[in-house]
Amino acid sequence: MTREIYLKKFSRAVRWRLPPKEAEEAIADYRELVFQEKRDESRLVEELGDPVQAARLLTDVKSYRRWLAVFGILALGLVLMAKWCILGRSQLDYFLGKTRYWFPVLVLMVGLVLSQYWFRRYEQKRGPLSRRLILGLVLVLAVGAIPLGWTWYVSRPEFLERLAQELFPGPVARQAWMLQYVLRYGGCACTLIALAGLVLAKLFDRRWLALYTLALTMTALCVILIFWTRSMSLPWYGVNELQFYYFPRMVLVGIAGLVGTGVALC
Amino acid sequence: MLKKELLELCLLQLLDGGDKYGYEVLTPLRAAFPDTQESAIYALLRGLGKEKYTEWYMAPGDGGPDRKYYRLTPAGLERLEALRGEWRHMRDAIASFGVE
Repeated sequence: MTREIYLKKFSRAVRWRLPPKEAEEAIADYRELVFQEKRDESRLVEELGDPVQAARLLTDVKSYRRWLAVFGILALGLVLMAKWCILGRSQLDYFLGKTRYWFPVLVLMVGLVLSQYWFRRYEQKRGPLSRRLILGLVLVLAVGAIPLGWTWYVSRPEFLERLAQELFPGPVARQAWMLQYVLRYGGCACTLIALAGLVLAKLFDRRWLALYTLALTMTALCVILIFWTRSMSLPWYGVNELQFYYFPRMVLVGIAGLVGTGVALC
Repeated sequence: MLKKELLELCLLQLLDGGDKYGYEVLTPLRAAFPDTQESAIYALLRGLGKEKYTEWYMAPGDGGPDRKYYRLTPAGLERLEALRGEWRHMRDAIASFGVE
């Protein structure tokens, strides 16, 4: 293991486990130790110990467990979202009926509040805004735009008229059928990106939380659409109003997510 | 007296002999306790800093960049005295069994 790789592994492990100030102090100390002229690079692990084990030795168990609890709650929210995306329903459907539309909103709100509280209080910004973060946000918007756009397209009155006129399943029906896959895979992709944003926010810069927030919002919107489109009791008043039933109801969720993303970037 | 306390005693004793930078503290201790890795000794050194037994300052190295030097605090000196007392007591106790 080279000195650079050793320090890289140690830095990641220590940033995951320690509060930012302590982590940076430990990294600076290890940089000094690792890059000592008298140090034999081939005996680095033997002398200093495994980098992850070294980080473990420095861990304050109490504060690390607190972080793991927060991470666990946020990750559980993402797992639930992914499950709803894949299954298209919640186990609580039978008991709570139509309130299931609020499940993704609830997960989004808990995720927004808890992540903003933790990262703004305990984590730090490092250096200028990363270009990769900007690219990540653009990617999430692109990935999220596909299911939202597809739903908009499929719920147009003209499309629904054509669907009603098609006697046997044809190209129009296939486009409508594809919607469930687009929503499912789009939502799952955003869930994975949100998880990556969470980990990157802890390891590198708290502004990566913007990626988590935006991706979580997109996932929540996908789950709401999945629940609506799979519902057999949609209270709409005709083909002409279907498009304007879905989207105005999701505007508030979208605004909350965008505001959260903006706050995370500050 | 546990091995950790023996290490702590040696570390404080080392710093009692003068301010030292990280590598200067870690290498002699690792030479004395070869089954202990430097990461464990560094963790102990950090722990002593948190307990306010040691403190650090930056000073120029030997022609290189600034280095972090560690020194004992008055609380560290008291701790060293306490550990020395424990060590003498243990040494005498073991000697009373005929262990040389």
